[in-house]
Amino acid sequence: MDLALKDIRRHLGKFIATIAGVAMLLAIVLVMNGIYQGNVADGVWLIDNTRADLWVVERARGGPFNESSRIPSDAWKSVAATPGVARASPLVIYGGQRDIGGRSQQLTFIGYDVFGGLGGPGRIVQGRSIEAPHYEMVADGKLGLALGDVVSFGTHAYTVVGLTQGAVDSGGSPLIYLSLPDSQEVQFQQDNRALVAARAANLNRLERAGYGAEQAARLLPLLSSTGDSVNAVLVRLAPGADGAAVARHVRDWLYFNVFTTDEERSLMLEGKLSKMSAVLGLFRTLLVIVAIVIIALIVYVLTIEKIRSIATLKLIGAPNWVIVRLILEQSLALTLASFALAYGLRALIAPNFPRTLAFVAQDTAITFAVMLVGGVVASLMAIWHALRTPPQLALGG
Amino acid sequence: MAVVEVENVSKTFGSGELAVQALKPCSFVVQEGELAALIGPSGSGKSTLLLSISLILEPTAGRIVINGQKVYDDGWTGVDERAFRRRNIGFIFQQHNLIPFLTAQENVALAMQLNGANRRDAGRRARELLGYLEIAHRADSLPANLSGGEQQRVAIGRALANEPPLILADEPTAALDTERGGKVMALLRRIARERRSAVITVTHDHRMIEGFDTVYQLEDGRLTRMLSPA
Repeated sequence: MDLALKDIRRHLGKFIATIAGVAMLLAIVLVMNGIYQGNVADGVWLIDNTRADLWVVERARGGPFNESSRIPSDAWKSVAATPGVARASPLVIYGGQRDIGGRSQQLTFIGYDVFGGLGGPGRIVQGRSIEAPHYEMVADGKLGLALGDVVSFGTHAYTVVGLTQGAVDSGGSPLIYLSLPDSQEVQFQQDNRALVAARAANLNRLERAGYGAEQAARLLPLLSSTGDSVNAVLVRLAPGADGAAVARHVRDWLYFNVFTTDEERSLMLEGKLSKMSAVLGLFRTLLVIVAIVIIALIVYVLTIEKIRSIATLKLIGAPNWVIVRLILEQSLALTLASFALAYGLRALIAPNFPRTLAFVAQDTAITFAVMLVGGVVASLMAIWHALRTPPQLALGG
Repeated sequence: MAVVEVENVSKTFGSGELAVQALKPCSFVVQEGELAALIGPSGSGKSTLLLSISLILEPTAGRIVINGQKVYDDGWTGVDERAFRRRNIGFIFQQHNLIPFLTAQENVALAMQLNGANRRDAGRRARELLGYLEIAHRADSLPANLSGGEQQRVAIGRALANEPPLILADEPTAALDTERGGKVMALLRRIARERRSAVITVTHDHRMIEGFDTVYQLEDGRLTRMLSPA
């Protein structure tokens, strides 16, 4: 006779309420698993999508994702001339917050050499890649744009010629691809008033230094800031080339920092994503503990409610395993039902979740195993109390 | 045949100057088919004696034999107390103590299943037993939906489930009115006669004393008087 299930039937409302509460906590844990893996997948995808063998960045910098990196635009030519390099192309990458489709949206711009350069858009689901040197863009569908839409960034308007799906950065922000000069212009363009003010200040500085008006006017263009830099140079090695030798050459002779794609991935995972992993891990641990504590309290309360029945069972000769099974089964039933409901809730939440969720079977299995062990642990206090209950409690009024 | 033999059984709680002798050496025998009562005021040692016979409370000295098996001889003899209770002792309580989430039939069948009966056989025999106790029509009811008298009948059914040679009843009529209490006593008498079980009842209820074969009175831990109502 399954005493646990019969008791559950009697306390069905209490069980259902507990299962619903615990399931919501566990659903958050499962979604958090998906958020972390989604960020990893997005961050790694961005690196993998460039199909580069080496990443050349500013010297002593860990860029371009974890730290800013600025190198001259024409540095790619020096890199391309390095023995063992098949192709080298510049890449610009920076975050932005722009009004698109009537709302302010966080996004990441990527500028690349649209004529055969590395680092172009992937996951294009509609339209095409950029084919013109200016005023075309490829945008991710999360921005709410359609093919042919025109978006203004600063003084110019850009037409959407391609749409991607799931092309986002490690933070889940959608990507916009522009040609290299367009991306530099969008990044460095200044307001006209700011340009006039800077020009006046420079002119004043030159005049105070003793230059005449004519000389100052000639020198002025040399002092104005330019957007003539990129964030990285992507390198594709020639077949059979020694990547380490190429990297060494670039470091020693061109004075840049070089990472292999694997190192760039490690930087992403151990740098940018490690803190997120720690934060999510902490919250997941706390939520699992709270869920187990709730189950433990409910099982304990249910056990206390039937302590006289347990004493009666002992008095009429029920062995301890009957009592242990009664409590343990209820705890496991709560745990398993909560997990099953959480799994269902996760499936409902996932399609409308605003960030990429990537569910890994191993994460789900680990969460399940932790909850299963937690369910057993949750019943220990009640079992201990039940086994200490003297059978004579059943006697008397 | 003697079902219960108690010989010089005593119980002392504590030691030294704080020692309290709750049960002074007492002896008695209850035969099969005998309905015996243990009466006495609170603190007289009734519960101590009942718990000792139930193998729950270890006496300090003496000898207890139940159904021919020596269970205590100046120390427990090593019997598995719960297995022994399942096979040899049926319990009836003042508050019935039915398992609230089991139906009447399941309460009776549970005792059978704990003793090794399979589910189907236990269910059939439980229904038969409830029929014997004239409560088969409430077999599928939960205890909360039964009257006090009906609950006590189900509890008696559970006590009889494994056909034990000894039934220990703790104030079985205390929670019932005179009419229902009388019916329960009549039922216990019938069980003793028909099933040849020895029934030992602890009671305060002097209304019911006339129905017993033997009455033992406990006072200050001493079995001081034995009444045998004609």
